[in-house]
Amino acid sequence: MHRRGVGAGAIAKKKLAENLRLASRPRDTEFLQLPAKYKERGTVLAEDQLAQMSKQLDMFKTNLEEFASKHKQEIRKNPEFRVQFQDMCATIGVDPLASGKGFWSEMLGVGDFYYELGVQIIEVCLALKHRNGGLITLEELHQQVLKGRGKFAQDVSQDDLIRAIKKLKALGTGFGIIPVGGTYLIQSVPAELNMDHTVVLQLAEKNGYVTVSEIKASLKWETERARQVLEHLLKEGLAWLDLQAPGEAHYWLPALFTDLYSQEITAEEAREALP
Amino acid sequence: MAMSFEWPWQYRFPPFFTLQPNVDTRQKQLAAWCSLVLSFCRLHKQSSMTVMEAQESPLFNNVKLQRSKGHLFLLPDSSLKYLWRKAEGRQQTEGKLPVESIQIVLEELRKKGNLEWLDKSKSSFLIMWRRPEEWGKLIYQWVSRSGQNNSVFTLYELTNGEDTEDEEFHGLDEATLLRALQALQQEHKAEIITVSDGRGVKFF
Repeated sequence: MHRRGVGAGAIAKKKLAENLRLASRPRDTEFLQLPAKYKERGTVLAEDQLAQMSKQLDMFKTNLEEFASKHKQEIRKNPEFRVQFQDMCATIGVDPLASGKGFWSEMLGVGDFYYELGVQIIEVCLALKHRNGGLITLEELHQQVLKGRGKFAQDVSQDDLIRAIKKLKALGTGFGIIPVGGTYLIQSVPAELNMDHTVVLQLAEKNGYVTVSEIKASLKWETERARQVLEHLLKEGLAWLDLQAPGEAHYWLPALFTDLYSQEITAEEAREALP
Repeated sequence: MAMSFEWPWQYRFPPFFTLQPNVDTRQKQLAAWCSLVLSFCRLHKQSSMTVMEAQESPLFNNVKLQRSKGHLFLLPDSSLKYLWRKAEGRQQTEGKLPVESIQIVLEELRKKGNLEWLDKSKSSFLIMWRRPEEWGKLIYQWVSRSGQNNSVFTLYELTNGEDTEDEEFHGLDEATLLRALQALQQEHKAEIITVSDGRGVKFF
């Protein structure tokens, strides 16, 4: 993953800020909302005001086109840029991923990027489903996606993954995002998981397994309620039973079994992972 | 040639040593066990085993099994390792597939054609990482390729002769070889015969 030098990055950021300012000047977006003074006079606009609006529209369009052509590459290559871009869009009320067609996705190729990523995510989840039942940590998904992209592909961040998954979710593909202990579990099969199941998953994240006693102690549930949730997780193939553990039965989740993907990990990734 | 055996991820997964109650999960588990048994025996060139041996073998016994979550540590030598904090107060760190479950795994292998019981009491078995039919096919292919149909070989020649040095069946144990040839015999592609000081085979 190549990082830009401080100097180049700062200059690029400055240029970006400038272009964004030009593209989203209050004046430009304001007139799109037909300012009050025009409303007062009804729908008839004076010719010179029309002319002014027209000029501003043109300038707005030109700035956007300039922005797009300058930053299209940036969007594909730089995860940090994508985050800033998305944040900016959110500020001005634009969702660049809202539809496949339209200015943003066509000119900037933002839609393509996340669409392709979504496909990759689905592939990884399908490939590992037999092992983890359709539940995977964001970390493992990230590692697998990066592996699949190879050395020369564009860098992809966890933020990118979450956005792509949100889109997949919106398309009704059965994807779900479950927050657990500071990270997320990504659900890729439409297994019925209600609040009870989710909260037990969160409990399991700490050790990779969970027990009836632990559930009763932490969540203050009755034994039967705890048992039902664990039975359900077994039934969905998300958990395996361990009867050789000391004391009582342990329910392990392959999705949380860190040993699965811990083998090859770079120094950088590890530093990020360590508290 | 002592290659270090690469254990599959399931081997370090504690529930792997408990027969799973969920049917679908159990199917996956048994498939993983069968695969593990075959690759283990293949690497260690083990063609037969007793159930007692199996119970004591590292194959069904992971003495280093960890029951706590691993954490990443940067060691002084700058290497990165997933290490486990010792479970406080709990010393049980073994994964041992109970003998009833071992029997189930062996039965699966038998059904697939990779295992044959050597005695009525099912105390020892032949384990073939390739089924006899598959070995038979390979042998017959070599015979045809080298234009040696209608030739006679001793069993020893087939598995230890110079001519077969590059073949996969070179070094194959006699019990498996015999069954491979019996499979070919069934297909009328070979006939097991007696030669001067042992057994041989004629190919058609």
